[in-house]
Amino acid sequence: GADATSAPEAGPSSAPEKPIVLIMIGMAGSGKTTLMQRLNAHFHLTKTPSYVINLDPAAVHAPATANIDIRDTVDYKAVMKQYNLGPNGGILTSLNLFATRFDQVLGFVEKRASEGIKYILMDTPGQIEIFTWSASGAIITESLASTLPVAIVYVVDTVRSANPTTFMSNMMYACSVMYKTQLPFICVFNKIDVVSHKFATEWMQDYDAFCAALDNEKSYSACLTRSMSLVLDEFYKNIRTVGVSAVSGEGISDFLAAVDDARKEYWEVYRPHLERKMAEREKERAEEQMAKLSEDMPESEKRKGKTKAKK
Amino acid sequence: MRHAQLVIGPAGSGKSTYCDQLRTHCENVRRTVHIVNLDPAAENFSYPVAFDIRDLISLDDVMSELGYGPNGGLVYCMEYLLENIDWFKEQVDEYLDDDYLVFDCPGQIELYSHLPVMRSLAENLQRWGFNVCAVCLLDSHFLSDAAKFIAGSTMCLSAMVGLALPHVNVVTKMDLLPKKLKKRIESYLDPDVPALVEELTNQTGDRFRALNSAVASLMEDYSMVQFVPLDYSDEDGLANLLVEIDNAIQYGEDAETREARESEIDQETEYTPNP
Repeated sequence: GADATSAPEAGPSSAPEKPIVLIMIGMAGSGKTTLMQRLNAHFHLTKTPSYVINLDPAAVHAPATANIDIRDTVDYKAVMKQYNLGPNGGILTSLNLFATRFDQVLGFVEKRASEGIKYILMDTPGQIEIFTWSASGAIITESLASTLPVAIVYVVDTVRSANPTTFMSNMMYACSVMYKTQLPFICVFNKIDVVSHKFATEWMQDYDAFCAALDNEKSYSACLTRSMSLVLDEFYKNIRTVGVSAVSGEGISDFLAAVDDARKEYWEVYRPHLERKMAEREKERAEEQMAKLSEDMPESEKRKGKTKAKK
Repeated sequence: MRHAQLVIGPAGSGKSTYCDQLRTHCENVRRTVHIVNLDPAAENFSYPVAFDIRDLISLDDVMSELGYGPNGGLVYCMEYLLENIDWFKEQVDEYLDDDYLVFDCPGQIELYSHLPVMRSLAENLQRWGFNVCAVCLLDSHFLSDAAKFIAGSTMCLSAMVGLALPHVNVVTKMDLLPKKLKKRIESYLDPDVPALVEELTNQTGDRFRALNSAVASLMEDYSMVQFVPLDYSDEDGLANLLVEIDNAIQYGEDAETREARESEIDQETEYTPNP
């Protein structure tokens, strides 16, 4: 709408003052929640104003400090009972219900944004695909990205990823998430207090080193075709990579530097692009509605419409 | 040789519907498949289940008794299944040579791309003499533009890398799409690479042109990511898909079944039982 487009027109000087939304995505066991807690603690310590949104209706260990918590609005267990759903369906439906009210959340966020908040941390459901492969996840991401700078923070379990197959699989999924969201992307290798992420950066920079590691695994190196390695190579060039330890706090400053960089990328590249796309989508939607309208018309009317158009 | 499909895909991609339709289709062509439920969080089925992981362990119990959340609980259940692999083998061994099992699996991607659970399970099946194929389902509604289609393809690749199995990707719910969208998705299935690169770059911005080119040529690499559209309103749809999967696991090496398959394709004589 008009509000969304007015922000960048106000000039680049006002742009960096908007807080950045960090959408935290990670597979079970990646330490996403612990990283959230670490960041939160860091922001408190450094007196950096921040805001936390929890979108995981089934969060067991979510930080009690969430400013907005889906669990305050939707009880997923009640949703399961009410709609006779399993846990997956319950979480998905809860997220759908929440998405319908997301404009209210956005209202809160925008209000706080004007009060000098710097970071907004957003936790997503533990089942990664409930956010990345659902209509509500897309709605929430898009409505945020049309208002504020947004970056995807993809949290990787470095310990498990030391296995080259798991690493490749994980990076392919990361690539999938990037295509799905099309937002600035930060790949965070967590748990570097246990295993350094040096091997990962090496693999990302040196394809031969990765191949050698994969060969040692004997079982399935054949699947890494030239075309696949090309994709991964190009993908690595387009993302930021940092290693952190949510437990010890190591690497947090690197992470925040990457966030600043992502924020810049959002304003310089994504935002103008996003606006162009939004305008296009608006046009397409209008056309689709016209098409539907003519489809719904009775056959005789349609013919009339066509002859009229020809004249 | 026994045969098995592992049916995977995100929640809501249509796994259970697929299993049900497949079973019906096979009944019609006088083939027998046995559906197995491996999703500890599954609901009730509209079809008979050969055996069910919930007889061993249910997510409900794990969540209420061990205090896990749904995600951690699921991982617990699947690891529990691996720990009790003898139980699994006993169930599986009820089915003999040439039997065909279809495993309705949980949707969580980490089971395939992050954790060794499903891979170990598949390796066990292979060790016991199964030809196993992964059938990865994706809801066509989430593939509505080029970037989303690529997101879907790379997700399937992620699972494929993790599982290390022959792999058939399926775009489901094609019958529920509006015509225009259906056409667009069909154009991605056998893409014109330069056009796909243009469309992608238009979406993602010019900076990603090199990545888009790499990804588009990956789509062209037919052996890597290949999608079969599935439209239940088209009876041949499921038959054609089954041919793909059968090829992947070399099902029907005996002449009789092969003949049946050929007559299905060539003459479109649907469901004539083989003499």
